[in-house]
Amino acid sequence: MIKLFIICSIQFFLLINNLSAQTGYELAKKLDNKDKPQNMTSRISMTLTNAKNKSRKNVMISKTASQSQKQMIWVLEPKSDRGMSFLKIEREDRKTEMRIWLPAFNKIRRINANRRSNSFMGSDLSYEDMMSRSLDDNTYLRLEDDQIGGEECYVLEVIPKKSINTSYSKHITWVSKENFQIVQEASYDKKSKLKKIKNFHYAFVNNYEIISKIHVKDLQKKHKTDIYFDQVKVDAKMDEKIFQEKSLKRLPLH
Amino acid sequence: MKSKNKEFSIKFWITRKVIENPLKSILFPLAFTSIFGLGMTFIVVDDDMLAMLPNNMSSKLSWDAVQDEFGSTESIFIAFGYKDKTIFNKSSFSDLWKLTNELESRPEIKKITSLSNLPKIENVDGFLEVHSLQPSEELDDIQINGIKKYVYNNQSIRARSISKDGNYFNIMVQPNDSIAHNVVRDIVVEIGDSLLSKNYEIHYGGTAYITGSVPGMIKNDISKLLGVGLVLMSLILLVNIRDLFAVGMIFSVIIQSLIVMAGLMGWVVYLTGSENFYFTIINSSMPIILLTIANSDGVHVVTKFFKEMRHNGNIKKSIAKSIDTLFVPIFLTSVTTIAAFLTLYFAPINQLMGYGICLSAGILYAFILSLTFLPAAMSLKRWDLNSKAISQNGYLENIISKFGKLVISKPKSILVVGMIIMFIGTAGLSLLKVDVNIANFFKEDTDFRKSIDFIDQEMTGTMDVRIRVEAPIKDPNTLNEMQEMQTLLNSNPKVTTSYSIVDVVKQMHRILIDDNPEFEIVPKDEKKVSNLLMMYSISGDQDDLNTIVDYNYKVGLITALSRVMSTEEIIQFVKKIEDQVYDFKHISNASITGMAIVIRDLIYLVIESSVISIFSSVILICLITSIFFKNFSWGFLSIVPLVTAVLINFGFMGIAGIHLSHVTALLSSVIIGVGVDFSIHYIYQYRRLIKDKVRNGISNKVINEVGYPIVLDAASNMSFGALLFSTFIPVQYVGGLMVFAMFSTAFGTLTLLAASVELLKTSYSK
Repeated sequence: MIKLFIICSIQFFLLINNLSAQTGYELAKKLDNKDKPQNMTSRISMTLTNAKNKSRKNVMISKTASQSQKQMIWVLEPKSDRGMSFLKIEREDRKTEMRIWLPAFNKIRRINANRRSNSFMGSDLSYEDMMSRSLDDNTYLRLEDDQIGGEECYVLEVIPKKSINTSYSKHITWVSKENFQIVQEASYDKKSKLKKIKNFHYAFVNNYEIISKIHVKDLQKKHKTDIYFDQVKVDAKMDEKIFQEKSLKRLPLH
Repeated sequence: MKSKNKEFSIKFWITRKVIENPLKSILFPLAFTSIFGLGMTFIVVDDDMLAMLPNNMSSKLSWDAVQDEFGSTESIFIAFGYKDKTIFNKSSFSDLWKLTNELESRPEIKKITSLSNLPKIENVDGFLEVHSLQPSEELDDIQINGIKKYVYNNQSIRARSISKDGNYFNIMVQPNDSIAHNVVRDIVVEIGDSLLSKNYEIHYGGTAYITGSVPGMIKNDISKLLGVGLVLMSLILLVNIRDLFAVGMIFSVIIQSLIVMAGLMGWVVYLTGSENFYFTIINSSMPIILLTIANSDGVHVVTKFFKEMRHNGNIKKSIAKSIDTLFVPIFLTSVTTIAAFLTLYFAPINQLMGYGICLSAGILYAFILSLTFLPAAMSLKRWDLNSKAISQNGYLENIISKFGKLVISKPKSILVVGMIIMFIGTAGLSLLKVDVNIANFFKEDTDFRKSIDFIDQEMTGTMDVRIRVEAPIKDPNTLNEMQEMQTLLNSNPKVTTSYSIVDVVKQMHRILIDDNPEFEIVPKDEKKVSNLLMMYSISGDQDDLNTIVDYNYKVGLITALSRVMSTEEIIQFVKKIEDQVYDFKHISNASITGMAIVIRDLIYLVIESSVISIFSSVILICLITSIFFKNFSWGFLSIVPLVTAVLINFGFMGIAGIHLSHVTALLSSVIIGVGVDFSIHYIYQYRRLIKDKVRNGISNKVINEVGYPIVLDAASNMSFGALLFSTFIPVQYVGGLMVFAMFSTAFGTLTLLAASVELLKTSYSK
């Protein structure tokens, strides 16, 4: 019994030691390797609030495929823009192609979405924030563990490599020890001033922990964005052929 | 009878206290002054011209709404470049980039607009692109030519960003709402000079620059010249009074009154937080006014004391006699002047309330000190009866004696001449013009004026008109009416540019339809407008629109920048804009503001305040003196010199082309304050001699008695003619007009009033 206790204690110590010994890169790799759905459909409600507490709301339907490299968005609200839609495709060469359907003009136009710092639809999320980060684009440093809202977290400092086109100098990322999901991220601008804080909330959908809410605060502009995801469907039957121009003109029923 | 006893008892009590306890009569006021003086540390200096406007005035309400929704509309402009060389070159763009970034990094600055950070909307290979006009600090020739082409194809951007000849960049700095303009001005000049002064010609301008610079400059200028004025005043007093101690004591009364007035201002701000007691550009006239009034009280006491010493040689008796003779007239002059200044409580300019109350407190304190501190101090000195000050008449005293005889011998002629001068003055009133634009405060050959003139003439101009439109902004009907308004604004030759959300919609429309210029129009369908704006929010930076439309597209702002306009031009221009606003059919709610409107409203306020102040003061003074002398005709006569002086002064300003501004308007206060003093002293002395049964040569005796202190007072106040050497045109006018005002009030009292009383003496002597 005593032997068993000693063996268990040693194993437990080794396990703890092994976990705490994980480097920043290892933690980032573990995050990157997490299972993600191949495709997803959701209804997005996005509320933007400016420094004077004035708000406006957009409601959209979003469909993503190829782990978010392809995305279509149809605007439901505001009514004056109902039917407007966007098609975004991230190519292998990291170039992003974006098309917009303007129902009032009956025209499709291409938009340059390669200016990564541009805001998406006036929100506090830039195109860069919305794109998946490649593991090797950054260096990772593990900082002292911390708590966010009572939740034990690993803390990572993510510094983009010089060759990367970014509007940030670094990010501090809090990763929950419990479910290994990012719960908070602080992003710093090129002058190393804190620019944004993002908070993430999750919900289980088909065994995936999917983001259910994002709260972004731009501390410099004193502007905030709340994004809610509902009616979420993952890995449902989805024909990737829909990610083309002609689909922009048709508002999906669900 | 009761009041008479009361008057006597207070007078005798004061006389007794001053003679029996001179030290107490000196130390107690000194302690009181020190306590009040502590309040000076709480004085808040405010350079905001808008603070003068009443909170319920429509242009102020609209101004506040615009500032709240779109941020500060008062800007600082920096223009830099070369006189004979184009600004479109690599190093200039690099410096523009550095300057823009440096200014953007300052928390005191809300927004910078320059070619470096303006968005460029264009159609590239079928792509709609919204990006920075200057993509990086270092540019090549192709990029520079591309920027040049874009700027020259966009009239609005060109007008806002470069000079007419293309030799200077223009950078617009929008201060953060909560930061004082003088603070932002200092930061902008420091950064601008450090980055640019070696290689470029730099000019600064804009309303925030002017309002941030001018109050401090005026205060420094006035402080310096006031010092010179005080030295001159002391010299004039010394030459005539011929005793340093006596002159020193008069100054002590003046300085203590000033301390109490300024201290009260600080204490009220400290205890109540009232913005009406902030020290603004208007308040810079307060020291001059109080100086002249306090000086008057002191001069009367000292000259009377010396006169009595000359007759009886006894200090206590002389002091008792001086207080006995002067208590009532000084009390009455103080009460009437205080009443006159308290009428400012009802003036439409907010700061005039604090102005009137604090100045009244200073006048009250000068009265108390003149009859307690001053005689007590005089009683402590061992006077040499053989000194010139006591044994001999002063130079002015001898002149006045001769002058008195002349007036009394030809009262009718004097009256007729006086009336003619008054009528000429009244005729000149119709020529009087108002100008409150502080850009015009500087002489044309000064560096400051040259710099703001450069911005005004070569760049966007210094003035602005803002039209706040409350309507569904995406509605094409709203946009079309906004466009019509811009057409009207642009039709004024002084307007350099106008911009609003209409320009963005039109430009997006054109670019969307294959960059076809025919489509640079407002789309007819609201959904089209909405689609365009949504597209902008996807491809551009929403912040670009923050200064032209509110967050929910319910309020829009039309801005027109213009060169400086004359008062008449402003009034006519605003009238046209108001008519157009009235004709709006779809825009339900629109209001006009901007510096041009503020200036127009200030013009009306200055006129209204001056008229209210003059009329109410004159009526009050007439009423108080009528009640006190129990005779309306005495009350009427007491206002004759000051009414004459006001008419002559403002008439003279009209004839000489001197504009009435919020600075020169202070002349009416000085004239009323000093003019009433002179006439009351004259009338009181006249009535006193009647009571003493003096019948022969009574007017001559009165002129002998009060003429000297009146003329000495006026002459010493004329030392503020030193203000003629000011850098600021209105302050120069104040200097010149002070001399004129002193002359006209003293002259009015000793000629018009003296001649009128002389002509009416039979009825008064009964």
